[in-house]
Amino acid sequence: MSVVVELIGVRKAFHEGRPGELWAVDGIDLAVAPGQVTVFTGPSGSGKTTLLTLIGCLARPTEGRIRLDGEEVSGLPERFVTDLRRRTFGFVFQQFNLIRGLSVLENVMLPAYPLAPHYPALRRRAERLLAHFGLGPRRDAQVEWLSGGEAQRTAIARALINDPPVVIADEPTANLDSQLSTAFLDIVAELRDQGRTVLLTSHDPLVYEAPVVDRIVAVRDGRLVS
Amino acid sequence: MLFQPAIMALLLVDAITLALLLPAALFAIQLLRHWDRNSGHARQIRLERRTALVTTGVALLSGVQGLALLLLVFTADALSVQFVGAMCAVGSFNVNAWGFPALLLRMALFFFAAAWLVMHHLDRQARDYPLIRARHALLLVIAPVALLAVLAQLAWFLGLRSDVITSCCGSLFSPGGATVAAELAALSPLPAMVGFYLVLGATLLVGAYYWRRRRGLTLFALLGSAAFPVAIAAVIAFVSLYIYEHPHHHCPFCLLKAEYGYIGYGLYLPLFGASAIAFGLGLTRPFAHIGSLRQVMAAAVPRVVGIATALFLLFTLLVAWISWHSNLILLS
Repeated sequence: MSVVVELIGVRKAFHEGRPGELWAVDGIDLAVAPGQVTVFTGPSGSGKTTLLTLIGCLARPTEGRIRLDGEEVSGLPERFVTDLRRRTFGFVFQQFNLIRGLSVLENVMLPAYPLAPHYPALRRRAERLLAHFGLGPRRDAQVEWLSGGEAQRTAIARALINDPPVVIADEPTANLDSQLSTAFLDIVAELRDQGRTVLLTSHDPLVYEAPVVDRIVAVRDGRLVS
Repeated sequence: MLFQPAIMALLLVDAITLALLLPAALFAIQLLRHWDRNSGHARQIRLERRTALVTTGVALLSGVQGLALLLLVFTADALSVQFVGAMCAVGSFNVNAWGFPALLLRMALFFFAAAWLVMHHLDRQARDYPLIRARHALLLVIAPVALLAVLAQLAWFLGLRSDVITSCCGSLFSPGGATVAAELAALSPLPAMVGFYLVLGATLLVGAYYWRRRRGLTLFALLGSAAFPVAIAAVIAFVSLYIYEHPHHHCPFCLLKAEYGYIGYGLYLPLFGASAIAFGLGLTRPFAHIGSLRQVMAAAVPRVVGIATALFLLFTLLVAWISWHSNLILLS
């Protein structure tokens, strides 16, 4: 279940070599221990989200390498990266990115495709996750009808459908009140207890000062702040 | 003469081939100089990104080369009605000095492109690009061959004059001549048959042996590659005679005509496909010691060998069937 994440001299540029070139991540060396909750903090534009997209293999670095369990993954051919991403990471996006027009259950099942197990087995797994997060009665509701907390729990259930060892959440409490943020941290503690590595970005003290957090990594101008 | 659909299509294929292949060859030089999988340098990352794009383009044009070869032969055959003295593709190719060089270079391009596809097929199944250097080195062979093939074909097209009296297969494949074609036509049927069935039989046996035991890949590649010239010699020496039911008509191109049920396509498609696969496996074999490739080859090559063996078997059975059903008696 546990995965060691290592970043070696990672840099990421946008508009490289063109006007407006921006180094969002500028030389980061970092090792994230498995089974821990790590929070990346820093002001807006500091490179936290870019860093998470690089770790989650949603983007490739401009320079440097990323390793998962010792295997260099940032240079893998795309077909392997897709498979690795599917098996290793679950994503909870800041705006949750639920697919409107689909039900809660369908949204949760979606990341399992196109390699999904038989439909009944997948559906049972999705229903178990929804029941676990208190969304059982809402499984057939359209996602646009959900409250903020329900949408977030749906997004978390969706992130867990492939049983990933690493869960990545980008500003997960940005749109939630304190009560829902606390409930989210309870879920994070549960994920850690299951042995999963949890990587969060947040500039919410409620999150990074929470007891469940093992490590805080401060980022500014694309670099780690010592 | 240029403004014919088939010729326009071939010129378009050539333009696309050169437009993709020449930049790919320049990229290959960069890659061969700077590729270092262990480096996290920006240049290495750029190479990794661009190789995905270049590979996609080269795979596309390599796949098209088989169709281009087919279209070239079909076009030459179709054009034969426009030249005095031409009765099949041979007459068209003989209209000027560039016809047969264009055909032979197009065939060479097909085999190299197919070998590249075999390498690509194996390489893409490994996580660490084990054949990337070999694939890009091969591009440096393919690019000049492609350039020469395109230029020769263009020279042939530009030199097509309908007022030229050309010579056709009757003179080229006549046993009395001093050309390779004439010498092949002069081969006695019996030794040609013995040689053909020995080489093809050995290829099939080694292919089947590899399929069962996973041994003998090098021998299969060698035999499979050698099977191509042997098979072409056999077509000229005796298969064509059985098809035409005529003891002196050795042309390997008239087989492509409707009068003979387009039997040539049935013969050549499996032969070219199987030989190209064997050739590709032969070029890949020296790299089989690379760790990740060894695993990939163990999993993927039996299937590839199986396809090639099945195609060789189809070709051999077709030759045997033709020989059996012909009304011509070559061997008493």
